[in-house]
This record gives sequence, structure tokens and C-alpha cells, in this order.
Amino acid sequence: MSRWGMVIDLKKCISCYACMVACKQEHFIPPGVFWNRLLISEAGEYPRVKKMVYPILCNHCKKPVCVDVCPTGASKQREDGIVTIDSQECTGCQYCVLTCPYQQRTYLADTSKEYFPGQGLTKFEIIGQNLNPHEEGTVSKCNFCKDRIDEGMKNGLQPGIDRNATPACVNICMVKARHFGDLDDPNSNVSILIRVRNGYRLRTEWGTEPSVYYID
Amino acid sequence: MNSYEWMVKYTSQTEWIKGGGMLVWLSFYAGILGSGSYLVSLYFNNLLGMLVSWLIIVVIKNGFHMAHAKRPMRMWRMILRPKSSWLSRGTIFIGLFTGCGFIQLILSYLLPGTPAEITFKLLTGIAVCAVLLYEGFTLNYIKGIPFWNSALLPVLFIFWGLLSGLALIATIGWSGADSSGLAAGNQLFLIATIILTVLYMWSASYAGAAAQESVKIILQGNLSLIFGVGAVLLGMIIPLIIWWLSSVVGQTLAVTILVCEIIGGLAFTYSVFKAGVYSPIISNDWR
Repeated sequence: MSRWGMVIDLKKCISCYACMVACKQEHFIPPGVFWNRLLISEAGEYPRVKKMVYPILCNHCKKPVCVDVCPTGASKQREDGIVTIDSQECTGCQYCVLTCPYQQRTYLADTSKEYFPGQGLTKFEIIGQNLNPHEEGTVSKCNFCKDRIDEGMKNGLQPGIDRNATPACVNICMVKARHFGDLDDPNSNVSILIRVRNGYRLRTEWGTEPSVYYID
Repeated sequence: MNSYEWMVKYTSQTEWIKGGGMLVWLSFYAGILGSGSYLVSLYFNNLLGMLVSWLIIVVIKNGFHMAHAKRPMRMWRMILRPKSSWLSRGTIFIGLFTGCGFIQLILSYLLPGTPAEITFKLLTGIAVCAVLLYEGFTLNYIKGIPFWNSALLPVLFIFWGLLSGLALIATIGWSGADSSGLAAGNQLFLIATIILTVLYMWSASYAGAAAQESVKIILQGNLSLIFGVGAVLLGMIIPLIIWWLSSVVGQTLAVTILVCEIIGGLAFTYSVFKAGVYSPIISNDWR
């Protein structure tokens, strides 16, 4: 069984925010909610200052604490490692939001916000509410574009190789900083990158074993 | 906090203390107050105290939980994951306490001293201990907030609950109990709570930079007034002084102690909730 993971090449990332926007567009995410983010920090002192840019998203951890703490079972982990939330079962207690040490979950307090306040919903937003409704009072997060992966695999496509089976943020990256593939396949693109370029994960001391790696 | 500092600097938790999240804080305190009071009432066999405590948990605590949940009709699902979720376990414990407590109260009123009443007292006592415990462990389980990830936190919650319970019993009045025993018990618990609070803050300051930051916020930052005046002065020092000065406390002083304990407990739990900060995912000295 595959275990989907992502590798992000920090040397290539130009912090253009295209991945953030592509994610919002793909899933019709309401204003103020982000499944993909960029963390930007600086290290060192003048004149030796280094700018650090980290695109972050749900790590789809191998040992997800958010799944353990969910009292209703709305948070689940699939066999392929993708952590999902069933909004029909979520009560909005937000225990998972608190427990995630990477803070990659968002509580949807208000899904009726407009991108252009006072001007009504755009056609895009109306389409989004029908195609991919986000339930108010529940928690949401990145799902590795599981619908694209599932649909692509049904059609014999390979996630990480074929665009129609690959997450939107990976597809949109114009500098090819993002890679997606099977971490359990030692010959996959992601496994090779991790091995050759010494891929690392953020905050491994928290013990959740993230599936998102970084190379620099 | 500016948006570009999110998870780059210490980021406070807001889900369970800001806006609607305050209902969670209040429900946690109501649980501590109700369970501690019930245990003390059980010990002194005070039926009125048991009834008041039962109502605090069943009506007030559950009321706050229901008010917080945007999907209250789904809350029955919260019993489905007791194997891994402290919230699930807590829901079950509260359910058991509600049922067993209801039966026990009726039996204590109508058939006191019977085997059935004693059995349900035992069951209710176990359930209410579990209610008192689960709250501390719910927070303690969260590794992402090092200030909460301490074994002392559940113990502190227990002691605050018992303190409030003793104050409640002193106010309601006790029947056949040793009043000097109550005074001694109160003083003992107050001294123990002071020591535990100091130990908790001290050990948190060694539990990493994020926990240290939380301690700084409580002792020197914007929570210092609430913690200092509310939790320490009103919650611990003033009741201790009152108990020292008069081993037999009249109704007025008992009410004063109860009010001080409740304010103290609210201030303490508020400070703990508010001071919880996450370690940055990346920081200025990362790699």
C-alpha cells in the first residue's frame, strides 16, 4: 500500500504564494482559511542574514495525534496515510485543532464570508458552495487533494507523475519545488530526493512522524 | 501578533479561550468545581451539597459544552472513541455520573443507609473522580503546548476542585461533621495547593522555551494581575488567613471564602488556558 508524502525543495522555492492560492482555488476555501501557508523568518545578524521560507501544510503524519484525540471519529487516517476529516461527523469541539503541534487545522467559524464584502458572492464562490461546501462549525484542513488522487488512480494515473492525479499545490509550482509520491516506494521520486538530498522533517521531537519532507 | 509571526514566534492558543472558546474554559471550571464539591459532600454525607454539585455538572458544565458546540445534535458521537480520546472518556464519565448520581440522590433522600444507596454512592464517587481527572488529562495530553504537558496539571485541577468543594460545604453547612476537621482540611489543602502551584510554575520553566514563555506571561506579562490577585491572593492567601484566624467560620466568612475560592479557581484556570503557547515550527535560530 502506498504512503503518500511530499518533498519541498527550499532551494527552489521563491515564495511566490502560488501554492497557497492554487489550494484555495482547488477547494473553494472561504476567506481567512488557509490549508497551505508560507512561514517566513530570518536568521542571523547583519551582514550575515539568511531568509528562511517554509511552505507548510498538513503533514499527514504517520502517527497523527489529531486522529487519536478526535472523540467522534471524524478525523480518520486512510490506509495510504492521508488524514481526512468527515465534516458530517465533526462536532466542532476543536480538540484536534489544539492538539496538532503544527497548527495545520482550522475551525470554520463562518463560511458565509464573501471575498468582496458587501458585494455578494462571486460566481466562483457560488459554484464552490455547491461543488465543495465547507460546513460551518466544523474543522477543516489539507487533504492532499485526495479526490484528485482517487480519481486519477481510478483512471490508471500515477500521483506525483500525472498532473490529474497530483495535488494542486504541486502542479502549480512553477519552479518545481514540490514533489509528491509514495514514501514507501524506495524508487519513487520523493524517496530518491529524501535519500540523495538529506530530506528532513520539521520538529520530529514531537513524535508524529510527518510525511512532508524538506530539502535545502 | 502580526500575521507573519504566526508559528514563527510563540503563538498563543485561542480556540479554547477566545470568543466562543471561553465557554470551554467555563465548562472546565464548572467540572472542577462540581466534581470537587461532590467528592467533599460525599465525604461529609451532605445531601444538599451533593445535589448542588450534581446540578453544577449536569446543568452548568454540560450547558456550557452544548453552547460551545455548533453542532450539538452530533455530541452523542463523542462517546465513540474512549480508547484514544480524553474528550470521549470524559463524555462517558459525565454520562455515568449523571445517571448514577441521579439514582444515588433519590436513594439517599428516600432510602438512606441501604445497600443500594451505598452501592450507588460508590459508583457515583468513582464516576465523579473520573470527571475530575479527565479535565486535567485532556490538557495534559497536548504535547504541542509544553506548559500544559505536565503531570502536575491534573493534580492541580484536583486540588482546586477539592478546595472549592470544601468552601461550598462550609457555606452550605455540614451535618454531624467535625467543624475543626473541616478547618484543618481546608488549611491543609490550601497549603498543598500553594506548594503545588509553585512547583508547577517552577517545573514548567524547565520544560523548554515555550513553557518558559507561558510562565513569563503568567508571572510577568498581561496575566500577572489576574493570576496574582485572582488565583494567588483571593484563591489561596485570603482563605488561608481567614481559616487561620478563626477555626470556626460563621456563615458570612464561609460565603466570603467560597466567593474567593471560586474567583481563585476561575482565575487559575483562565491563566492556564490563556498562557498556553505553541512552540514555533520554525524560529530565528532554526538549523
